[in-house]
Amino acid sequence: MPDTASWSSTDEIAWCPACGNFGIREAVKTALSELGLKPEQTCFVSGIGQAAKAPHYIKCNLFNGLHGRTLPVAAGVKLANPELVVFAEGGDGDGYAEGGNHFLHALRRNLDMTYIVHDNQIYGLTKGQTSPTSEAGLKTKTTPCGAIEPAFRPLALAVMMDAGFVARGFCAKPRQLADVIKLAVQHRGFALVEVLQNCVSFNHVNTAKWYSHRVYDLAEEKHDPTDRDKAYHKALEWGDRIPTGVIYKSGRKSYDALRAEAEGNRVSVPRLIDRLLDQFA
Amino acid sequence: MSRDRQGRGLQVISRTLGRLLVRAGYHVFVSQDVMSRIRGGHNFARVRISTGPVAADGEKAEILVALDPALVVRHVADLAPDAVVLTDAAGGMPEGLNAVRLPLVDLAREHGRDAVMANAVAVGAALALVGLELTGLEDLFESQFAAKGGDVVRRNMAAAEAGHRAVVEDMKRCCPRKLAGAEPGDRLLISGAEAIALGAIAANVRVVTGYPMSPATPIVEYCFRHAREAGLIVEQTEDEISAANLAIGAAFAGARAMTCTAGGGFCLMNEALSLAGMTETPLVLCVGMRPGPGTGLATRTAQADLLFVIYAGHGEFPRAVLTPADAAQGFQAAQDAFRIAEKCQTPVIILFDQFMADALWTVERSELRVENRQERQVPEGVQPYGYRRYEVGEGGLSPMVLPGTPEQLVYADSDEHNEAGHITESAAMRVRMVDKRNAKTAGIRQEAEVKVEVEAKAKAEKETLVFCFGSSRGVVAEAVARLREKGRKVAMVHLHYIWPFPVEAVTALAAKGAKVVTVEQNYSGQLAQLLAQECGLRVAGTVRRYDGRQFSVAEVEAGLEQLTREVG
Repeated sequence: MPDTASWSSTDEIAWCPACGNFGIREAVKTALSELGLKPEQTCFVSGIGQAAKAPHYIKCNLFNGLHGRTLPVAAGVKLANPELVVFAEGGDGDGYAEGGNHFLHALRRNLDMTYIVHDNQIYGLTKGQTSPTSEAGLKTKTTPCGAIEPAFRPLALAVMMDAGFVARGFCAKPRQLADVIKLAVQHRGFALVEVLQNCVSFNHVNTAKWYSHRVYDLAEEKHDPTDRDKAYHKALEWGDRIPTGVIYKSGRKSYDALRAEAEGNRVSVPRLIDRLLDQFA
Repeated sequence: MSRDRQGRGLQVISRTLGRLLVRAGYHVFVSQDVMSRIRGGHNFARVRISTGPVAADGEKAEILVALDPALVVRHVADLAPDAVVLTDAAGGMPEGLNAVRLPLVDLAREHGRDAVMANAVAVGAALALVGLELTGLEDLFESQFAAKGGDVVRRNMAAAEAGHRAVVEDMKRCCPRKLAGAEPGDRLLISGAEAIALGAIAANVRVVTGYPMSPATPIVEYCFRHAREAGLIVEQTEDEISAANLAIGAAFAGARAMTCTAGGGFCLMNEALSLAGMTETPLVLCVGMRPGPGTGLATRTAQADLLFVIYAGHGEFPRAVLTPADAAQGFQAAQDAFRIAEKCQTPVIILFDQFMADALWTVERSELRVENRQERQVPEGVQPYGYRRYEVGEGGLSPMVLPGTPEQLVYADSDEHNEAGHITESAAMRVRMVDKRNAKTAGIRQEAEVKVEVEAKAKAEKETLVFCFGSSRGVVAEAVARLREKGRKVAMVHLHYIWPFPVEAVTALAAKGAKVVTVEQNYSGQLAQLLAQECGLRVAGTVRRYDGRQFSVAEVEAGLEQLTREVG
């Protein structure tokens, strides 16, 4: 058994009983302890939503910012202190609606961090509105006749963008999820871990049972995550069968690694300013 | 004044000329008038040359350099009675002007092997008109075109020499505008935007972010150009929202971080500004003012975002707003901004106008001092894992530990939080935290109180006090000096630390002065509103301009004269 106790927080948990978030939290703690990290080596950045409260419920450095703005803050943290193991964490509304533009560009930028998205296809904290990943036809408070738009497929976008690492887990399979998170952390570059999660309060279609009947592990099918074409098809697969595990791994160098290669030698500030001012004489 | 239609090298002409003149000991002031397009349009620069400090455009042009004679007609009204017009020999222009017609383009082709070298021909010719030799010009071309190779430097030089020679030969029928002798000094010619960027580098900034938008772009571009040698991380983000949030993340992790934008982009940053206030993150924002609303006049100047910036962001939190007048104040403001942001752990805004950012200012090098002060309060003797990010300390300040510190954890939250940084909905804790955050305002205000700049000559006894902020300082100072020569009792008060408003210092000044007026580049008299609101002052009048162009000294002088008469 991994020592997850040292990753436990005493903060009071504001999630509904039986929420899928609990399974995700267990998987995160397992992964962190099995990776041999110390809490102070990590920094979790989150936005707003029930998922975004998650960093408070483990032991880590945390910046709980604004709805949708998780990825830019996480990028700033990583750029300022590359030693920190940086996580971004939030829900589908936070990441794919409010933060959609940041998501797109984070995939492109490929900074070394792990982005865990709790995807329950619904808005929880604001109490039951449609989300970008709600299936067409899903009835919510803001789609009383059923959602008109098709669901956003974040993993397919990520593969299309040649994102560093693209994976999917399921909250009711915390062991597999922990393994996926460990691989995501070990990957040098942007790692997207999309987690299928039930919402016991507002999504009565995509329940834990609904997911359980559909998910399968790509590892059992000998899926090659370096094959981008196959990965793209797996990322789009949805319905009766939903793949979990590592979908895609890119050979692309991370942004921070490329940046570090271009770094110059810093000189002391007064000397530097003298040199720069000379150019205006 | 120099101008051209293609926008080709206008900045090269004005900066090269300016630097050479500064090296020769003159004080130079260069302002740009540029249209919002990539090429073409009606673009020009004004170059004012003096033996003493200058911080405003001159009135009428003594020399007009126009690469295309067809454009001269647009500037006839701007010319002094006996102005010299230097332009190409080919093409028609208005009659009756004192013209020096040179084959600028032909000389460029012949000596520079490229029509674009007409710029260099014009530089050489203009220098001849003011009676200067080309000493040092090659050195300047080298510093400007070194990356393009020695051949480009040689061709520019040959073109400039051809222009110089042509004017000297032409002198037989034209009077040069010979300059008075100047005292050489250790001076620089630098734009306001460059000075802000350099001030930030002097303050040891590590992370600079932005999304391209005039007039803030030159700050970010300067940082990009020097990122390697200065060890900067410069990020052009997907939007202003990301720019501000990325800077906040970097500041949270311990880097001095700055984001740069204009009024419209700052609208998008408001949520992040509020986040920095709530999470008590030291964030520096450079906000450039151009005329709005909406897109407005993208490349022109205004001072209409003062009240917006002071009140921007939801909720109540402290902030400082600095409004530097020129390059020297911009360099200082950037250093002060980082010092205040770090000490008070709150956002600081450097609010500048487009005119300040794009103008080239002559600065005494000794005025640009590197302070490089560190203000982070590091706590001592904290129990392992016992650090509390929002512990209520004196003046609302908390010691700052950075994430990554062994055996400590840092929790920052945009939700209302307790002293540890965890989410709370406790009414008592809410009140405690609101009080804590806003207690920091008093400390920042003290900084502002001592920075109110009253014109040195002013006695401030029964005088009309002319309040202004930002780049109006140069124009107002000159207008006020002229009025004082006429015996008018006026004095300028420039506010370059405008928020929290220096209530005590301004109230004390006004108690001695007869009346208070403002000069500002907006429609509604925003500084006048602040004076009334913060100090209870009755503002007797405001000289306003809101056409996107900088005030002229004459119009401010006339406006102030009228106001002093009206209320006198």
